[in-house]
This record gives sequence, structure tokens and C-alpha cells, in this order.
Amino acid sequence: MTDRGLLGRDVLVLLALTGWGLALPHYASEFVVSLGLTCLMYVTLSTSWSLFCGSTRYLSLATSAFFGLGAYASALGLERQLPWASVIVIGAAIAVGVAIVMGAAVLHLRGTYFAVLTFGMTELIRHALAYFEKQVSGTVGRVLTTVPEGATVYLTVLALAVLALATSIVVRRSRFGLAMSGIGADEQRAQTLGVNTRLVKLAGFAITAGFAGAAGAAMAVRWTYIDPQTVFNPFIGFQTVLIALIGGAATLWGPLIAAIVFSLLAETLRLQLPQLYMMALGLLLILSVLYLPGGLASLRWQTVTGWWRGAGARLARGALAWRVRGAGRG
Amino acid sequence: MSLSAWLELLASGLITGGVYALVAIGLNLQYGLMRILNISHGEFLMLGAFATWWAQAQLGISPLVMLPVSFLLLMGVGLVVHRLCFRRLAATSPNVDVFEARSLMIGFGLMFFVQNFALLLWGGDLRGYDYLTDPVVIGGAQFSGNRLLVFGCALLFSLALIALLRFTLLGKGVRALMQSPTGAQLVGIDTRRLHPLMFGIGLGLSGVAGCLLSMTYAITPSMGEPYTVTALIVITLGGFGSMTGSLLGGLLLGVVEALGMHFMSPSLKMLLSYGVFIAVLLTRPNGLFKR
Repeated sequence: MTDRGLLGRDVLVLLALTGWGLALPHYASEFVVSLGLTCLMYVTLSTSWSLFCGSTRYLSLATSAFFGLGAYASALGLERQLPWASVIVIGAAIAVGVAIVMGAAVLHLRGTYFAVLTFGMTELIRHALAYFEKQVSGTVGRVLTTVPEGATVYLTVLALAVLALATSIVVRRSRFGLAMSGIGADEQRAQTLGVNTRLVKLAGFAITAGFAGAAGAAMAVRWTYIDPQTVFNPFIGFQTVLIALIGGAATLWGPLIAAIVFSLLAETLRLQLPQLYMMALGLLLILSVLYLPGGLASLRWQTVTGWWRGAGARLARGALAWRVRGAGRG
Repeated sequence: MSLSAWLELLASGLITGGVYALVAIGLNLQYGLMRILNISHGEFLMLGAFATWWAQAQLGISPLVMLPVSFLLLMGVGLVVHRLCFRRLAATSPNVDVFEARSLMIGFGLMFFVQNFALLLWGGDLRGYDYLTDPVVIGGAQFSGNRLLVFGCALLFSLALIALLRFTLLGKGVRALMQSPTGAQLVGIDTRRLHPLMFGIGLGLSGVAGCLLSMTYAITPSMGEPYTVTALIVITLGGFGSMTGSLLGGLLLGVVEALGMHFMSPSLKMLLSYGVFIAVLLTRPNGLFKR
């Protein structure tokens, strides 16, 4: 398919999905809508995560920091009766601001150092906020009293998800997106070819953070009571990374597919058998890293036949070794 | 503050530091040798703790007997995990960077799996038993016997591993592999045998640490995670791949935490460790003791 053809396909799929998302609250039950909301949240988070981390291969574990900052901004903003739209924008802006400071400090480090540092900074922000709330504000958490309607929240998160996908579609075809994949392939070469890697990385990291912050701001009202332990839950960050990786972080639709699969799995299993769900999650992650490093989106018929042939070959080798050993003894 | 109070404070820092060092050395062995940043390391510590508690509560076996048993048990688990996950991963990854990123992800998967397996099996309650709780007085300062035992054993195992690496042929092979994987293979060091063995020893050490911790603290399935984080902090303090650095870093962090908690506030403990961690990683990414 040509690039233009691909663009047409992507835009059409996005439009169809948006239409479906818009229609969902009008015919589906409340449970399905809430399932859809979770699903859209993870679509936003993992799509925006893979926009930066998938192409540059910088493994950021700071998603829960941005999400939590957005949620706190939302709680504080709603307390002061700010309008809903500005609350979302403030949440995103705070996350972007923190991302720029954090990025300036850590984006020169690669690989495991970067992953571990972003995780450490997330925990630092969480503990600092918990400490601040306890010592200065004298509270443990915050109760959200003025909450917008459920339909507004749903539409906001839907808009964020569509915006994240649209940004991803546009960025992939822009100079900026090419620069990011160039960094992912070989950072030094990209630098030599005239890419301002520092600026590109910082911008990419800030975009990811902005979406995570906005999603956090929108989703905060769902809890009605928030404290640092729930909104900075590292699990939100892990699951985002997981969804993106299992779906295929380098692809556009992979994270979306994985987000849908995971939200369904989560809602059906999590309430009855939370431990079993988490175990399945861990096992799936291991299996997907081992056998599908490109993610679900890279799954083709040849992949499956490849496993089949690999297993067959291993079996044949085993049988041969067995026979040789038998012959040696006899 | 009186002298004995100071002594008690420093000693309690050293005791926690000893356990930190033991956990960190296991993790450092895996990272320094194989580039596996095993984020599930603490979960295996938890398994060691639960194995000890279970043997003590159900079968009446002394925790001291469980010390080598949990080492061997976790070493066995380590060999199986390496065989199932990391061997294939090493064979299919195009380069070290990719291997490192993927093994980090496998670590997260293992963490979810093991932690929730334990939750399913034993439930989320706090568990514990009493062992050697009589106080011992040394130089005017008072300690409970089990804590002294924990410190002694942690130090013993850490030093034993350092001696193993420094003075034996096996250790020489491991150090050679750390310095230059290709060069070591060229002179006939067998990676396929040493890697699983060292991964197993790393997990075995975390099993020992878990066994020791269960003697003094109550245990839960979620106890492992903070220790993983602390171990990460310690190996960044001491430098990736340096075992002596990990031992010193662990003891230092224990003392810093104890002092910080005493003079500021206990709720600052995690804030303090993360602050130290980030400051060190940003300013001296090769470790505090690197010349």
C-alpha cells in the first residue's frame, strides 16, 4: 500500500471508531459505558506513550507521575469551581511542565538508566506529595464534591483518545516523527545527520506527558475521593507500558487493539479473581516479550507457522538425540 | 544524645543495611554479569521469607536450618526461570541494549506473576513468628538476638560471595565475563553454564535475605517491592557490577535511613532514599566509589 493509501485507511478507521465511540452511550448499558471509559483511558495513555517511547525506544515509566499530577490538578481546580475544559488544560500543562524539567535532567541517559530514573522520579513525586499533603495541607486525600456529569467525562476521554490517535497519525508522517524514529534506530547517526536530538526528545516526552496529564485530570472525577496512593499508582504506568508493548509499541493500531483486549480482560477477571488476572497479565507480558517482540500488531500467519516449525524442529532434534544415545548404548 | 543511644542508632542502621547489601549483591550479580535488571528480585526474597515462615509454622523447622534450604530452593527457582525466560531471550535479542530492555519487561512480568501467586496461595495478611527475641546487651546498647543474627548472617553471605568471586577460579571466570564477554568466551569460559549458575546464586541470596527478614519482621506478599527498589538504589550507589561497592553502599544507605528517620520523621524514609538515589544517578552515574 502506498503512503497515501495508508493515510486514507488510518483516517477512515479513526473516523469509524470515533463514530462508534460517540454512539456507544446511547444504546449500551451503564456497565458497558464504564468499560468503554477505562478502555479509552488506556487507548489515550498507551497511544501517546508509544508515540514517543515506541519510536525513540526510550522506556519511560513516568506515566503514572503525569497521570497523578493531572488528577491532582483536576481535584484542586474543581475545588475552586474552575470550568471543566480549563481543568483538563491545566492538568495537561502541569504534566508538560514537569516533563520538561524531568526530561532536561534525564533524557541524556539511555536504556535501563532512563527507565529506572523515571520510575524513581515518579515515586519521589508521589512520596513528596503525600508528605506535603500530610504536613502542610493536613489531609490524606481530597474529596471531589462538584463533579461533572458522566456523559461529559466520557466525551472528554473519547476526545482525548481520538486526539492522541490523530496526533500519532500526523506525527508519524512529519519530520518530527522521522527524527524520533531516527533516534530510536541510532541516536548518534541522527545527530550527525543534523537532528537536534535533545529538543526532539524533550518535545516528544512533553507530548506524552500532556496526554497522560489530561487523561489523569479527566479520570480523577471517576474516583470522587483521591489520594496519592491511588492516582500515582505505579500500576497505571506499568499497564500502559504493558499494553503498548503487547500491542506493538512501534505501530499505530497495536496499542489500541491491546487496550481493548486488556480492558475486557480486566473487567471480566479482575472483580472475581484479581490475583489470577494479575498472574495472567504477568504471564502474557513474558510470553509476548519472548515470542512476539514486535507486539500483537506484528502477528501474521507466518509468525504462527514459524513457531510451529520451530517446535517441530526442536522435537525432531530431541528425537534424533534420543536415537543417537540409544544407538550408542546398544 | 548519650553514647549508647548513638551506638544503638548506628547499629540499627547497619543491621538494616546488611540486609540491603545482601539483596543488592544478588541483583548486582545478575545485572553486572548478564545485563538482567531483575525488577522481580524482591519477589523472590518474599518467597524465601514465606518458605521459612511456612516451614517454621507447619513443620516446626528452625529458621536457621531454613537458611541454606531457602538458598538452594531459590537457586533452583532461578535456574528454572533462567532456562525458561532468559536463555531464549539472549538467543533471540539482536544486541545488548534490546536484551536489557526486554529483560526489564520480563522482570515486570515475573513480578506480577510471583507476587499474585503468593497472594493467591497465602492471602494478604501479615504473618510472623517469634525467634530469638531475648535482648542482648553490648557496650551499654541493647539489641534483640535475632537482629544481631540477621546482621551476622547477611554479612557472612555477602563476604562469602565476594570471596568466591575474588579467590576462586569460578569467580575469576565470572569477573572475566563481566569485563569482556567476548574475550572471556574466546579463552574458553562457558557462558551457557556460568550465566544460569550466577542467576541462580543471585536469587538464592535474595532467598537468604528473605529468610533472615522473616526472623525479625512480619511478612506479606507485597514486602518484596520496597527491597527491589532499595537494592536498585544500593547498586547505583555502589556502582553497577561492583560487589564491594554494593556491600558498602547497602550499609551506608541503612545508616543514612536510620539517621534520617531519627532526626526528621519516619514518613520521610522513602523520600530520603529516592532523593539519594536520583541525586547519585544524576551526578555520579558510575557509582559513588568509582575512582
